[in-house]
Amino acid sequence: MSNSLRPYLAAVRSTLTAALTLESFSSQVVERHNKPEVEASGSKEVLLNPLIISRNENERVLIEPSINSIRLSIKIKQADEIERILCHKFTRFMMQRAESFIVLRRRPVQGYDISFLITNTHSETMLKHKIVDFIIEYIRSLLLCISCLIQPRFMKEVDREISDMKLSLNARARIVAESYLTAIST
Amino acid sequence: MDGAFRKIDIDAYDEDVLHEEELYDADPRGQAQVLDEAKQRQVAVRSALSKSDIAGALSIVLENAPYGPTFDDAKVVTLQTVFTILSSTKSTEIPNVLKALTQEEQDTLMKYLYKGMAALGGDVSGSVLLDWHEKLTEVAGLGCIVRTMTDRRTV
Repeated sequence: MSNSLRPYLAAVRSTLTAALTLESFSSQVVERHNKPEVEASGSKEVLLNPLIISRNENERVLIEPSINSIRLSIKIKQADEIERILCHKFTRFMMQRAESFIVLRRRPVQGYDISFLITNTHSETMLKHKIVDFIIEYIRSLLLCISCLIQPRFMKEVDREISDMKLSLNARARIVAESYLTAIST
Repeated sequence: MDGAFRKIDIDAYDEDVLHEEELYDADPRGQAQVLDEAKQRQVAVRSALSKSDIAGALSIVLENAPYGPTFDDAKVVTLQTVFTILSSTKSTEIPNVLKALTQEEQDTLMKYLYKGMAALGGDVSGSVLLDWHEKLTEVAGLGCIVRTMTDRRTV
């Protein structure tokens, strides 16, 4: 897995670094407003071409650059119904606490699981390469947590919790099915 | 859903509103001519590939690539041609092939890599594109990605 993960993250890293050239830009419509143009999308000239980096059909990152803000959205592979539920709960948990992550968006973009919004204020108050590092590490640990294949470097607790949840969910389902079937058979 | 309460987009009637076609100069060639050229290039690329001249094949296909909203057929043909070249190249040869390209060709190739990743599935695998992307970034630098983002002439 890590073999194909490395070039994927490298491509996200280089694209994100290239996209993080932000400057302050006042709204063209309303005086003394300063909105993230990628969200307002009022004018075409300040939006740049959105880029997609994909590892396979089910895993991709969408980067939408604009003059003063970029939006990065992640789609995580969800193989079965359990993974879909876990992924939803997990990302929801994060997004409800979005203010602690600073650059996290409260809602994902349509068709993606989790989104970030980085504005020029963020890139001015924080170090650019640290923002990139944070997002790359975030994607890496997120993928590891969801897929539960390799021991993650951090967020070990969450990862273990998800594996346990998956195991106990299967165990509970088996017990329920057993008791249900015994009730029928007698 | 968002903005459903607004029935009319009044900004579209503003006198100095910016239109899509004002962002770049349109391709002067006709639709049939571009499609014809794309098909001719596909043939030329096949013959170059049979001589295992990959850098030559790439510069054939990346020259005068179709752009803009009207040339959908020609774009599909060109994208397929690029894919055949990309997937028939050995991973060790890639850096030398990329160094032989001009800057403009490198930028166009970067556009095709992103376009390929956006429409993944079927005949080309993501790992091939990611491999090319990584090596192209090494050779051409981040500026190549920035030019892909800012160039309105999308392939």
